Amino acid sequence: MIAYEKFVLDNGLQVVVHEDHTTKMAVLNILYKVGSRNEIVGKTGLAHYFEHLMFGGSKNVPSFDTALEKVGGSCNAFTNTDITNYYTSLPAINLETAFWLESDRMLHLNLSDKTIETQRKVVIEEFKQRYLNQPYGNAFHLMRNLAYDVHPYRWPTIGQSITDIENYQRQDVEDFFLTHYRPDNAVMVVAGDVTIEQVKELSEKWFGDIPAGNIPKNTIPMELPQQKKKIFTIHADVPTDALYKVYHVPGRLEEKYLECDLITDILGFGRSSILEQKLVKNTDIFASCSGYVMGNVDPGLMVFNGKMEKGHTAEEAEKVLDEVIGDFLKSEISPAMLEKVKNQAEAMKTFEAVQLLNRAMNLAYYTHLGDTDLYLKEYEKKTAIPAENIITVANELMVEENSSVLYYKKTKE
Amino acid sequence: MALDRTTAPEFLIPENITLIPPIKRMLKNGVALYFIKTPQLDAVKMELVTEANKHLLQKEKALVPFFMMHMLLEGTKEMKSEVIDDFFDHYASEVDVISSFEQSGMSLLTTKKHFKNVLPVFRTLFTDAVFPEKELAKRKSQKELTISIQKTENGARANQLYRKGLFGTDHPYGFIADEDDVRNVSREDLVDFYDKFFMVNPEIFITGNLEENELDLVSNLFGNIPTLNLEDILPDFTISPEKRISELKEKSVQSSIRLGKHLIPKDHKDYHALVLFNTILGGYFGSRLIKNIREDKGHTYGIHSSIGSLRLSDYWIVMADVQKGFADVVIEEVYKEIELLQNEPVGEDELETVRNYMIGHFMSNFSSPFDLINRFKNIHQAGMEYSFYQEQLDYIRTFKAEDIQYIAQTYFNRESIFEVVVG
Repeated sequence: MIAYEKFVLDNGLQVVVHEDHTTKMAVLNILYKVGSRNEIVGKTGLAHYFEHLMFGGSKNVPSFDTALEKVGGSCNAFTNTDITNYYTSLPAINLETAFWLESDRMLHLNLSDKTIETQRKVVIEEFKQRYLNQPYGNAFHLMRNLAYDVHPYRWPTIGQSITDIENYQRQDVEDFFLTHYRPDNAVMVVAGDVTIEQVKELSEKWFGDIPAGNIPKNTIPMELPQQKKKIFTIHADVPTDALYKVYHVPGRLEEKYLECDLITDILGFGRSSILEQKLVKNTDIFASCSGYVMGNVDPGLMVFNGKMEKGHTAEEAEKVLDEVIGDFLKSEISPAMLEKVKNQAEAMKTFEAVQLLNRAMNLAYYTHLGDTDLYLKEYEKKTAIPAENIITVANELMVEENSSVLYYKKTKE
Repeated sequence: MALDRTTAPEFLIPENITLIPPIKRMLKNGVALYFIKTPQLDAVKMELVTEANKHLLQKEKALVPFFMMHMLLEGTKEMKSEVIDDFFDHYASEVDVISSFEQSGMSLLTTKKHFKNVLPVFRTLFTDAVFPEKELAKRKSQKELTISIQKTENGARANQLYRKGLFGTDHPYGFIADEDDVRNVSREDLVDFYDKFFMVNPEIFITGNLEENELDLVSNLFGNIPTLNLEDILPDFTISPEKRISELKEKSVQSSIRLGKHLIPKDHKDYHALVLFNTILGGYFGSRLIKNIREDKGHTYGIHSSIGSLRLSDYWIVMADVQKGFADVVIEEVYKEIELLQNEPVGEDELETVRNYMIGHFMSNFSSPFDLINRFKNIHQAGMEYSFYQEQLDYIRTFKAEDIQYIAQTYFNRESIFEVVVG
């Protein structure tokens, strides 16, 4: 059981405190409720680029990293489709420094032209390193663009293209900050060798006077239900074919999401999973195959992807994947299977909780979803779902007209 | 009174960092078991690590240890492959292969609740594996595919060439696997290696909320495995005579660069200073290389230097994927930064930052029990005592700018550094 307390400052900043006195470290984690889903066409990748700029210095702190390193701390951040999350880990005796640093950059970011231009170059190199200079590196650019018509999930967090990154203006950056980086759009978790009283006092002191934004966000265009199967084929200089097949699924908090999560647990989790046993071990078509649900806030995707053994095509692979899915849709889920999934969900919570930082991030994430308690209760909700509901939802969603397929094919020699 | 944001809050340097050593038990067969108790966490991790590796075999059979390890879950005398998979997944327990340059073994990640159930089956993997042909054929074709994918990845290719330059491809550390090496592996090779060599110098490491009776169970189950004691028989390596190995890839949009050299061993008097030199140069986000090549010039998403540790060699490596056409520029900047550390002492401010960062980093590295056992394992496998860390911490608290300058001048001559460029 993970104990926590929660309070909200007058400016809307939500604060969660998790005391753990078995360590001498502390974590300060700030989540801003902004990700690539808040971007618009032509300015894609801005949320992630902005994350880089947050380390570029604020009014009273020329270098965030150096100031933190000087008190024995370290930090990092990540951006995804839905959130941008910053975390700082430091000796608990120096907790106040983390408050000073995080509040200063929330209050008044101070960006030089040099920082804006250098980080633009750094992000372009990141784009190349991760997505262009790797075999199959652009698969999810292609897949998202195929599966979504209007929703910003149709580009990855890094951005749709390098051109977009080249074109951001200073004004874009400043507007983005004032729209999204306000206390009423953030969740702060303080965890480790800290006390609730201490965190209350420090939060008021450092964050209390930062004005709320109350700025309305742009409406995010929502997808209409897909009517027809979509297919895209790409030929590239890769060693073997790969297959990506996705189905639209509900968002993280919507009905049927947990059923979808269970579907991919059964099909794709672990060595005993159906995909591993039937497709990888017992065919010579798949060299690997995985299945999972993207837990997005807005309706997301259930993803199946695999690489083919040499000499076999992505089209062939889709056929055998479809057969396995077809068998699953007609099957009954055994009590033993459900017990296995339940054991796994329970153990996963134990493994996750080993690191203080994971606990802090999860508390922030579930608070952002709207319910901190869900961190502890989602597992019970999930494991209480009856077997027949899982199959019913699978039959409803895992149909061809709701699917998109990317054949990532090896160029003929 | 308005809050003064212009001055940083007061800070303290952590004192009294305690390093808890593991408890040691000897099993009947002479295998040492090291245990760290975690009263608050129900996750349990157990590793059995041996020295069964390719140095015990002819070069053509270098992949035998890899396949032997990866076949252990593919069937035992008592259970078929799919039954084993289902068994461990049912108890939500992850069994993973440990297959590094020097170590072979298996790890078990489970929970206190399921520990006693899964332990006996985990134990059978070490003596009862049967190596079925069908599963071996699948593993082989998967490995061939991995090898061909790695050839198209600049970073993976650069790592291979780095090892080639540092150790030579005839040495077990420098060996580069090819599809032919996969084909050379037969079921008989695996059975033979398993019977003769798997249990070379085994040791057990456990972290978890376990009681005496649960450790007794480990002692009983694992105390009857026959073991083999062998002295190190690692051959000497040959360092490449070339200053640079490069591979041109027209279509690449970046170049992967590696710089490296052999270093002094961990028990050398200069080792702790060397670690700090590396940190200042490229070992943390505030390092000279990050500040110059990423934060000032934007040539790369990341550039890092680090120290690797093998029984025959502690070695140094700088890694980065850089803008196409800028490999030489970046390499030259790395030399410039080294020369700067040779010619000018590190200033007071930077010295304080590094010192405090390293103390906090140290504390963080020892803050969870799972971290503790890893730290212990690293130093123990290098043949040293746990007191190494206390000495390191004491040194971090007191080191001086001239120590760093001395290291730069003594160990980092430009001529002694070897380069790899792929892309």
